[in-house]
Amino acid sequence: MNTNIDFKNLWNMQEMAIPDTKELFEKTNEFKKKSYQKLILANVTLIFTTAFILFVWYHYQPEFITSKIGIVCMLFAMFLYLFVYNQMAIFLKSNNYEMDTLHYLQQLLKLKEKQLFLQTTILNVYFILLSLGIGLYMYEYTCRMTMIWAIVTYGVTLFWIALNWFVFRPKTIRKQQKTLNELIEKFEKINNQLVQN
Amino acid sequence: MDFESIYKTYWQKIFRLCMGYVNDNDWAKDIAQETFITVWQKLPEFRNESSVGTWIFRIASNHCLRQIERHKRMPKSNLPVEIEEVKSVNNEPKFNFLYKCIAELPEIDRLIISLELEDIKQAEIASIVGISEANVRVKIFRIKEKLTKKFEKYEY
Repeated sequence: MNTNIDFKNLWNMQEMAIPDTKELFEKTNEFKKKSYQKLILANVTLIFTTAFILFVWYHYQPEFITSKIGIVCMLFAMFLYLFVYNQMAIFLKSNNYEMDTLHYLQQLLKLKEKQLFLQTTILNVYFILLSLGIGLYMYEYTCRMTMIWAIVTYGVTLFWIALNWFVFRPKTIRKQQKTLNELIEKFEKINNQLVQN
Repeated sequence: MDFESIYKTYWQKIFRLCMGYVNDNDWAKDIAQETFITVWQKLPEFRNESSVGTWIFRIASNHCLRQIERHKRMPKSNLPVEIEEVKSVNNEPKFNFLYKCIAELPEIDRLIISLELEDIKQAEIASIVGISEANVRVKIFRIKEKLTKKFEKYEY
């Protein structure tokens, strides 16, 4: 049996009507819109939060230096997050499809490993700065309270920060890592198919 | 070469490559369209360092590999069986069986055999996939052996 000719003939039986180029360009626009939506939403949300914090600073005129440092810490946390998030979005889009499969896979692997590192590190720094900012900002106002209320206020806030740090943060990291690790593993498996004979 | 003529010349070839990779009409059409979007975006920068064919097949192969990330979003196994059957364009069983067999191979093998069946020279396949020509030859031989065995079982 001449398998070569048989397979090629069978292979060529597959046909799909050429879609109109109009459909293609519509898809391009849709694709672009979708990929920017999330990015714009993240930017707008954080910019509004920043504006709100600045308004609080302006309106309540904190006197203590701790309050001011606290606000700066919170703002810094948000800008850092936004900066890295934007950079990563650009970085993930910079995918070069024109290289050969072997190099493309290596590029994807590097990209995913970098994403994994960035997500974990930045999330930690973001949490630390935000918690520190809140803690410092509160000091001025708790000073005006009675001792018991001050302890209650700090207690509740610290409980909330601890809950975020020990429960929500590891959960988010674990979830992100699981998805990325699974992908990295799959890419490595395919990479091995190329390396092995 | 302008985009329109590239699109017309390569659409069927790229669609078949994607079909060999996923064996699902709608999904393959999506990947083929994504490939041509990249071709359209990158064409002004294309410097003829490789042939247009090699360049397009590289882009298509990489788009196919990228599907791993999307696999979770549309798991094929979750589709009702009836829908999958209705989706087949052609009722030729042998032809469907070939695409089914290819889509079951390891990812790189799917790409290599699809390119081979598309009549791409082995040197060119080597440059698309990034392995040596000798390696491509060995792989093609093994894949064809595997496919032949499956077809023998299918026929008898």
